[in-house]
Amino acid sequence: MTTSMTPVDMPTDAENYRHSQYLTVFQEVTRLISMVHEPQQVMDMVVSTLPGLLDLEGATIRLLDKATNTFVVGAARGVSPEYLSRAYIDTAEVLAAVRRGEPASRSGLHLEGDERSKEAIAAEGIVSVLSLPIVYKDEVAGLVRLLSKRPRTFSRMQVEFCMALAEQIGIALANSRMHEEMAQQISYLKAVRHISQLVNSTLDLNQILNAIVQQLPPIMEVSACTIRLLHPATNRLELMAASGLSDDYLNRGSISREDAIFKALSGEPVAIYDATKDVRVNYHEEILQEGIKSILAVPLRSGSEVIGVLRLLTAYHHLFTPAEIDFAMSVAEEGGNAIEKARTYRKIELLFNQIEEHERFLTTIMDSLWLQLLVLSPDRRIIMVNKMFCKTHGIAEKDVLGRDYHEISPWASPRREDCPVDRVFTDGRPVAILDKLSHGDHDLWFERHLSPIFDDDGKIEIIIEAVRDITDQKLLEKEKLEKMKLQGVVEMAGTAAHNINSPLFAALGTAQLLVDDISDQQTMAELQLIIKNLRAIGALTKEMTAVTGFESKDYVGDARIVELTSSPWHPAKT
Amino acid sequence: MTNTGANILVLDDVPDAVVLIKKILERKGYLVSDFTDEEQAIAHAANHPVDCAILDIKLKKMSGVQVLARLKEINPAIRAIMLTGYPTIETAREALDLGASEYCVKPIDKQELEEKVAQVLA
Repeated sequence: MTTSMTPVDMPTDAENYRHSQYLTVFQEVTRLISMVHEPQQVMDMVVSTLPGLLDLEGATIRLLDKATNTFVVGAARGVSPEYLSRAYIDTAEVLAAVRRGEPASRSGLHLEGDERSKEAIAAEGIVSVLSLPIVYKDEVAGLVRLLSKRPRTFSRMQVEFCMALAEQIGIALANSRMHEEMAQQISYLKAVRHISQLVNSTLDLNQILNAIVQQLPPIMEVSACTIRLLHPATNRLELMAASGLSDDYLNRGSISREDAIFKALSGEPVAIYDATKDVRVNYHEEILQEGIKSILAVPLRSGSEVIGVLRLLTAYHHLFTPAEIDFAMSVAEEGGNAIEKARTYRKIELLFNQIEEHERFLTTIMDSLWLQLLVLSPDRRIIMVNKMFCKTHGIAEKDVLGRDYHEISPWASPRREDCPVDRVFTDGRPVAILDKLSHGDHDLWFERHLSPIFDDDGKIEIIIEAVRDITDQKLLEKEKLEKMKLQGVVEMAGTAAHNINSPLFAALGTAQLLVDDISDQQTMAELQLIIKNLRAIGALTKEMTAVTGFESKDYVGDARIVELTSSPWHPAKT
Repeated sequence: MTNTGANILVLDDVPDAVVLIKKILERKGYLVSDFTDEEQAIAHAANHPVDCAILDIKLKKMSGVQVLARLKEINPAIRAIMLTGYPTIETAREALDLGASEYCVKPIDKQELEEKVAQVLA
């Protein structure tokens, strides 16, 4: 089907020329959009072209700032800065129409304009305005305002043309935002990789926490960052690291009961636009004093478990975008895994230190013992030895460990069947042995205790052999025995001497009295012989009472005789 | 020179020894009272003058040192010669501390005994 135009409907040359101009501008706009991704160029081109094309004095483009829900200047031509900076752009009715996506045209502003901007409008001389929404994907992204200093109306074609241009601006803005977001995503990916490398390059928990709170704020263009971790034992949140915040603010009190924390701990991010008033956070006064405007709280995860909360704080009002929230979540996840790894490492390190400490403690005890200690494995190899053993036998620990017991033990029986170690392994009962070793010209005595240690299954896991050198004790016992013998001999000699001395005294004295009484020379000589021998006995008994030692000597056959040693200082000798 | 007529108390648990000492000293002119029982000897000293006591260390119930202590309580001026068949440093020191003049070991020669008594009484 074809349509044809009557001569009456045919456009005039002027109209054709204007149409071609519209087309040229439109082509230029679309060319710019496809060639460059900078919406500012598109907006500048539109505001500089439209006044001439539509016989206007000025044109402005304002963009919607979602954060403040206001329209801010994107591009302008033909108007003064004073006019641009007026407080109110247009009447509420006009702005409402624009927000609905509808164009709104007004004329005679010099007669009945917006009361709130009357002076600015009058000073600029604006009389007629066409306001057009910049719509993209059913959302108003800004508005285009075409300004005239004369009373005028806009034709349907003009409005539609401008609406089409405004839509192109919307596309340009959307493209730009998309590119910006893509660039930001790439930047975030790089940042995530950087932070990931940083936190995974160490197992030091404090280094990881500090890396996150220091690195993240400049990347996300926020002023502060905090990390709180749930204490594994108490499950309470504890502030572990922070940047960009005063001590007073950090010490304001517990935030465990804040809704934002509850939500973050349940695994969801919480973005707060106005932290000074939002009920999801407490301490509004402190927040205000610290100059904090917006907060993003995200869960710190290790696998599926939430282990804490990461908070980002801004010094300006900021509506966190999904990309920003995703990025913060990614960093928190990377950080969470690294934190958990560091915590696990710290636990392992602690356990390792404890084991080392126990080992040191055990070694100190073993090495402090005067006993020689050997620990044997079931294959009769030495697995532990104390310092006393090494010192006594002049052997290094490294030369003992792992060696066969029979190669190392100086007490090992040459006959394997007599080996007490084998006996303990066979019977499972402890064994005590008294052993004597010849050492040069003297003997050494040892008391050996071999005790089995059983595992959970009742099998012998190790045998501990404790060997005590009791040579000194043996020598003392021997000395004591000798002393007792001497004491017995001394007492026996003393008693014998005492019992002899009194009758001897009587006999000697009587013989001496007799010598005084007789005159017969023969009898006198015999008495002198008796006196001489009694004196000899007396001398012997004196020796006996002064005994300080004795020596056992061979006598005749198997019999032995005691030779007494006496002190020259004894009363019997003085 | 002898101090004849001096009163001497002799105490020994062996009667033969007491008899012998008495014989030896009486020949020298001393007045000798001999005892084998400690209490009797102490009682005698309490009731009679005694110039010198010759005491054995080992007696039946008491030691010669203990008897010397009792005699010194009765008469601090009493002189004493200790006689023992089993000399020890302890008994020698104790006896000398209590004022014994001599500490002699049996068997003692007759002549040595006479000399010691004469020296003690001099």
